[in-house]
Amino acid sequence: MSALITVRNLKKHYPIFGGVFKRKVASVKAVDGVTLKIFKGETFGLVGESGCGKTTLGKTILRLLKPDAGNIFFDVPEDIVNEMVELEKVNPKSKRLKRLREQYDIATFSGERLLRLRRRMQIVYQDPTTSLDPRMLVKDIVAEPLVAQGIAKGEEAKRMVVDVLKGVGLGEQHLYRFPHEFSGGQRQRIAIARALVCRPDFVVLDEPTSSVDVSVRAQLLNLFKDLQKEFKLTYMFISHDLSIVECISDRVAIMYLGKVNELAPTPKIFKNPLHPYSQALIASVPIPDPKRRRERAPLAGEVPSPVNPPAGCRFHPRCPLVMDVCRKEEPQMFEVEKDHYVACFALAKR
Amino acid sequence: MVEDSILEVKNLVVKFYTYAGIVEALDGVNLRIMPGEILGLVGETGCGKSVTSFSMLQLVPPPGAIEEGEIYFNRDGKIIDIRSLRKDAIRQIRGKDISMVFQEPRAYLNPVYTVETQIGEALLTHRKNEFLKRAIETLERKGKKSSFEKRVYERMLKKPNSIITRIMAKFTRQKTLKEEVRKEVVHLLRSVEIADPERVAKMYPFELSGGMAQRAVIAMALSCQPIMLIADEPTTNLDVTVQAQILNLVRELRNKFNSSILYITHDLGVIAELCDRVAVMYAGNVVETADVYELFESPLHPYTKALLESIPRPGQEFKSIPGTVPSLINPPKGCRFHDRCQFEMDICQKIKPKFIEVKRDHFVACHLYGGSK
Amino acid sequence: MDLSKRWKEIKIAWEPRIKEWKFMMKRMRKSPLAIIGLAIIIGFVIIACLAPILAPPVGPDPFSMRIDAELSVLTSQPTPPTVRHIFGTTGEQYDIYYACIWGTINAFRVGITVVAIALAIGLIIGVTSAYYGGIFDEIMMRFTDIVIALPGLVLAMALVIAFPTVIPLNITLIILVVSAILAIIFATFKPERKFLLPTQIILIISLSLYINSPITIGLNLSKLDKVLISLAIVGWPGYARLIRGEVLRVKNEDYVEAAKAAGCSDFRIIVKHILPNSIYPLLIVVTLDIGSIVLTAAALSFLGIGAETNFADWGNIISRSRDWIRTPELLVQHYHTFLIPGIFIVLFVLGWNLLGDALRDVFDPMIRRR
Repeated sequence: MSALITVRNLKKHYPIFGGVFKRKVASVKAVDGVTLKIFKGETFGLVGESGCGKTTLGKTILRLLKPDAGNIFFDVPEDIVNEMVELEKVNPKSKRLKRLREQYDIATFSGERLLRLRRRMQIVYQDPTTSLDPRMLVKDIVAEPLVAQGIAKGEEAKRMVVDVLKGVGLGEQHLYRFPHEFSGGQRQRIAIARALVCRPDFVVLDEPTSSVDVSVRAQLLNLFKDLQKEFKLTYMFISHDLSIVECISDRVAIMYLGKVNELAPTPKIFKNPLHPYSQALIASVPIPDPKRRRERAPLAGEVPSPVNPPAGCRFHPRCPLVMDVCRKEEPQMFEVEKDHYVACFALAKR
Repeated sequence: MVEDSILEVKNLVVKFYTYAGIVEALDGVNLRIMPGEILGLVGETGCGKSVTSFSMLQLVPPPGAIEEGEIYFNRDGKIIDIRSLRKDAIRQIRGKDISMVFQEPRAYLNPVYTVETQIGEALLTHRKNEFLKRAIETLERKGKKSSFEKRVYERMLKKPNSIITRIMAKFTRQKTLKEEVRKEVVHLLRSVEIADPERVAKMYPFELSGGMAQRAVIAMALSCQPIMLIADEPTTNLDVTVQAQILNLVRELRNKFNSSILYITHDLGVIAELCDRVAVMYAGNVVETADVYELFESPLHPYTKALLESIPRPGQEFKSIPGTVPSLINPPKGCRFHDRCQFEMDICQKIKPKFIEVKRDHFVACHLYGGSK
Repeated sequence: MDLSKRWKEIKIAWEPRIKEWKFMMKRMRKSPLAIIGLAIIIGFVIIACLAPILAPPVGPDPFSMRIDAELSVLTSQPTPPTVRHIFGTTGEQYDIYYACIWGTINAFRVGITVVAIALAIGLIIGVTSAYYGGIFDEIMMRFTDIVIALPGLVLAMALVIAFPTVIPLNITLIILVVSAILAIIFATFKPERKFLLPTQIILIISLSLYINSPITIGLNLSKLDKVLISLAIVGWPGYARLIRGEVLRVKNEDYVEAAKAAGCSDFRIIVKHILPNSIYPLLIVVTLDIGSIVLTAAALSFLGIGAETNFADWGNIISRSRDWIRTPELLVQHYHTFLIPGIFIVLFVLGWNLLGDALRDVFDPMIRRR
């Protein structure tokens, strides 16, 4: 499978201003060096707890935020990416590298090129109540990407809107209503319709079922699956709910404090998590079967603040396998078994 | 009332009188909590779990009102009819005999006061005399037998309401009393497994992380050693690792103090992990109550069965319950679940099934199990 | 296109908005004060519309009052209400009834004009500061702070006095400066062919015009215009701050980011998303302000800084009464000189205040309902 999105060493920091002159005193290192690939047509699950940076990563890939460092390649042929990786190692200042970057690295895009890119990647937000403009009609909300990018307007736009509304299970009768007249599940469908109306290739789903009733969740998840088949979409499914991610994703990455700890196909990572954090995380999910009660908390302590992450491996203060090197250096991701990547010194030793 | 139960709710009916119509929020809820047990109350959004818990403390906000039903609370052998209590009497129970913990801890902590001040306030409200005695003892130990402060405390013990007492109290900074309260606050924070409780006590709510804030609120709820604790979705907003810690904490507290806990949630995993017995609610009714093992192994009510089936399993399609929760303004006649039930019979549309004991300690409200008898 | 089908479409499209409107009206009807406020304002509007009929003007400029020649010969004191002059006359024998009727039109003119100008300035400054933030925001807000710090009424008075009656405006210079700014803006933000060429052409044309044949015109400001401009200058910072707060709140909402993800330009986001959602508190303040602006203008007139002596304006008429209420007995005797116009002012301000309160009650639950 070819990679639709390749992210290399991506960093996004939010500055914190303080003092009388509002100078930058610190920064929240939301995403601090993430490298991964998302393949065409797959559902890529991204999990982690609050503050780990998963939403920031999704939005940065979408270029809703400007990355501070790193590259993002969208639909770039494999050999060109490899060439750039090689050039970086051999001669980072080469002109060819610079030219290739300007042409392909969307981290640097702006203006017209960025606008054209937007058509191909979209996002569905967590809370459908706040992600739809309360003073706009459904028709205008869903048609907005078409109008803003100049793809269609007027009658043609309306036709496309009705088309996509039918695709998500709504109808023409819903065109001229306000968002607050709908239930939470329906609002989320409107948000999905808006994301799909310009036929993107890649959709980031940022916790799309967290703010919705439990009974509606299953309907929405089935809808995502159907839409993926019908429109040939690639998803990045961000969630903190591991049970849903387990059922919908093809591969899963687990993030902690701005870095990816483990990345593997779903069945592998849930049956056999290797990183100590992944193990603790998966073990903490309560199982709906009283016979399998655990009666203990697998992980003690709190997540440290992303403003001042621990030195070396971010997880070392809470890690049962901590060694000296973990306190000083950051572990790099390496392939433990086929397609199963981990970033951990203790595992690298074995 | 059943022997020994701590709290019993019978046929509770609560209605909300709104502009849009009369919302029949609770339609005959039956619950029972035994001492030392964790009862899980599970249901979807809008099924009435929170309203039930509020009714137990007469906290139903207007335009809601408890229309019918009985709520009995067993305080050390004495049975109290909660519905008949007056304002000052119910205030004695709130926070002291029955405490409540909510979903968003920082919304229920006053942002302009430190943790210390707020928990201290709860302590002083309900256990003031105890702290006064402690303060007097401390002063005596320090050798200040006849200090003005000590006399103020003694007077506050004897004649708390007289004007002279109050004027005298204004003349001292009550340092010893505050110190005793502070020590207790730190002790409480330590008992809910907050690391470095001395530092946390002086923090403001916005400085606390979600898990710590929830622990602080639990500490506040436990400060007066309540007989029963109501926890309304306390871990829904927390990370799953922190949730595991809090669930553990709740379990330990129950073991240590033998308090009864009503744990409200919509997460079946939490129920399985924590609770002893479970009550399942749907659209204002309790439809099934059973021991937790029994419920997961042989659920009787079709809604419970559907809920268990809708738990996501890898490799399978996501199952959901067809239809939607009915509006409670004009609820369907008969069983409120009938239009979504795959076992629907004629009688289900007309007559509401009774809540009866089908197996030992396993109650169901469904016509399939003789709910019409 | 089939007309009837189009009409039906338009009807369907507007139906939800009409429903919202009806809901708002229903809420307003529930509050008796709101109805009173609305009735008062509508009453004034009717008076203003029927002014030529109610008080037929004599002469070309209806706003300049005429002295009743016959009475002025007889007396130089204010005369109490009679059949001839329903509300009586002032010392100089101006008809108070006439002043009150035509003053209504003036009141609306003053209130709406000042608020419109202040709103325009405040909106532009407030919205751009909030949206773009950074140092631009800091500078704009400090500038706003300075203007607020100056005492309003005093500043208004000073401006009215200081404004020259004739402002020489070098039109060509203005065109040159505007085209230069536009050129710079386009060059920095949109360096594309289709924008650069026209802006350069305009720049060259305006430059040549300025050098070869500069045109200067004198802008005549009547006293009333000066009052309006000064009040607007004093009033805009309040609006700027208010809209800035609202825009800051709306800016971070998800749907604004979703619009960015959809590819909307900044301008489109501001106009279609941010403004409609942030303007409601401002509308409430605007209605309240229309009343208070009129009050301030009347105060200025009373102090003599407002319009000319024979201008038909409430404040002006009251200022005519200054000399005649020196003692309590005179006060009672010449009550009509200040009481009647005073009642007009009070009712006007009250009407707008009640309307503003009603609007606030209506909008708040609507926002809550969502």
